Amino acid sequence: MAADEQRLRVAVLGAGLIGIDLVDKICRSRKLELALVAGRDRDSLGLRRAAETGHPTTAGGIHAVVDAGPLDMVFDATNADIHAEHWTALRPTGTTLIDLTPTGLGTVIVPGVNSHPPAARRHLNLVSCGGQAAIPVLYALSRRCTPSYIEVVSTGASASAGRATRLNLDQYIATTSAAIRAFTGTRDVKVMVNLSPARPAPPFRVAMTVLADGIRPAPVRTSIAAAAQAVRAYAPGFKVTSLAVDPGRISVVVEVTASGGRLPRHAGSVDIINAAAVLLAEQSAAASRGRGLHP
Amino acid sequence: MNTPPHERRRILLHDPTLRDGHHAVGHRLDADQLRAYATAANAAGVPVVEVGHGNGLGASSLQIGRARLDDATMLTTVREALTSSRMGVFMAPGWGTSDDLAAAVRHGADVVRIAAHCTEADVTERHIGVVRDLGAEAQGVLLMSHMTGPGGLAEQCALMVRFGAQAVGIMDSAGHYLPADVAERVRAIVDAVDVPVIFHGHNNLGLAVANSLAAVDAGASIIDATARGFGAGAGNTQLEVLVAVLERRGVETGIGLREVLAATDVAADRLMKAPPSVDSLAVASGLAGVFSGFRRPVLQTARAEGIDPVDLFLALGERQVVAGQEDLIGDIARQVKAAAR
Repeated sequence: MAADEQRLRVAVLGAGLIGIDLVDKICRSRKLELALVAGRDRDSLGLRRAAETGHPTTAGGIHAVVDAGPLDMVFDATNADIHAEHWTALRPTGTTLIDLTPTGLGTVIVPGVNSHPPAARRHLNLVSCGGQAAIPVLYALSRRCTPSYIEVVSTGASASAGRATRLNLDQYIATTSAAIRAFTGTRDVKVMVNLSPARPAPPFRVAMTVLADGIRPAPVRTSIAAAAQAVRAYAPGFKVTSLAVDPGRISVVVEVTASGGRLPRHAGSVDIINAAAVLLAEQSAAASRGRGLHP
Repeated sequence: MNTPPHERRRILLHDPTLRDGHHAVGHRLDADQLRAYATAANAAGVPVVEVGHGNGLGASSLQIGRARLDDATMLTTVREALTSSRMGVFMAPGWGTSDDLAAAVRHGADVVRIAAHCTEADVTERHIGVVRDLGAEAQGVLLMSHMTGPGGLAEQCALMVRFGAQAVGIMDSAGHYLPADVAERVRAIVDAVDVPVIFHGHNNLGLAVANSLAAVDAGASIIDATARGFGAGAGNTQLEVLVAVLERRGVETGIGLREVLAATDVAADRLMKAPPSVDSLAVASGLAGVFSGFRRPVLQTARAEGIDPVDLFLALGERQVVAGQEDLIGDIARQVKAAAR
């Protein structure tokens, strides 16, 4: 198939909860071809599962990814502490790096808000799962009013947060806050994170409170509905579950469930950031078609 | 009982009056109040005086309640009042960050507690390490500890010791335990770790002092207690009562009874309109196993929605909400209201 020949060759770096689901989503994409899944522990569940389903795997980490080139794109689903090393290693190769760890080092992308990065950008960052859920709504709100304060509290099921997420809570908070500031122009931003051990595991939940003057309820509601609709195009489990527009204050809660893949329903946090990553890769594929990514 | 002092066991009393007590007053203590009690507790020889927003460093927010003073002001004020007592702070990863820890130690915090929900101790790895690197004493505490069993708590405490915690233990954040529950859990933890074990009680079922005594008898060596029990929900273990009870038990605390009575009288005068009491709502919340700090938002929300706060507490318990999930209170209140129609 002609279309297949133009598939982008991609690799997934990191075989934890995020990496395992990325592999699934890439396999379902008609624009991407999974060339390699790289971890650091051959016995890890993620690498074993990828190998069982017939994908090329390596325990050689970033070095194996560099050696496997040429690749169009690498997804980094490892850990904020080591991401910078991965970019250093990949930068000379011309491969685009999509960072799913909360470093905020590359160009920050939220689909629908700034989906089309300049083609020259080869280092892209997806903020955090909470950022991917909150920013479309907060960006839409910031077109309708001028917030003086924004607070975001995200709660994920305990089972949906792996070791890297738990170690990277500081970076998660810093990167999510910085992205909210940048996209909304609001200086005073507070981000908090909870993990819920409740059974059955609850969906990913992001509660946002915006303080602003001159709030007009009707346009605010319309904007939020439109933003949610746009997110559902790639993350169908995204839903506004509560919305209160009061004088001076907007409170909106979104919940995200995972659907369509092997992810458990509660893992909406994994689903939304991975859906954003694959969408971004597919958009890059469309943009580069005919240009020849590796001249 | 007249055990000679040199044969007595020694227990360290850790006093979070100026942190947990913040839950009782919407986090609104001012600098004069902090200074007055810190000075009094220091004079009484209370070994550790903990200060901060009710949910600790970085937690001041619309979600949990905005503190009157920022963290730096609270810490600086208390630090200046302490000449012999050490200053303690509390932080849960996800509410505060390493930057908050560094600032707290810079402002003179000696003892830093890193907290996690009782099944989530692995979120403390980074921050316990940061506290050790900063040179303060790192302690690890498990919140809402009734939500898992003795084996699980022992395992989670051992994990925090592996991360570098120099003392570990459990908080009965909902005031749900009976003395036998506490004894079983503390024993399991004491057997699993080689550092001092902490117990922090709440009085929803009227058992905070009894539970603290059970913890001491089971081998805990750091017990939290607050002046008049000033704290979330029905309050904490009452400090002055515990000092007297431990005196009767023949356990050394290093705190004189007359001195601690004077200090806690200052708290009664300066910090609270009335001491916490075990009212109907406190009993319901303890039985439902809901975080004591939810008391004020539950009362406000129930009033706004026109529902019985007891029904709201029971519904929150069914949903297994944990500390920090105040955003769920409104949603669940509306469900309770809809179900009642």
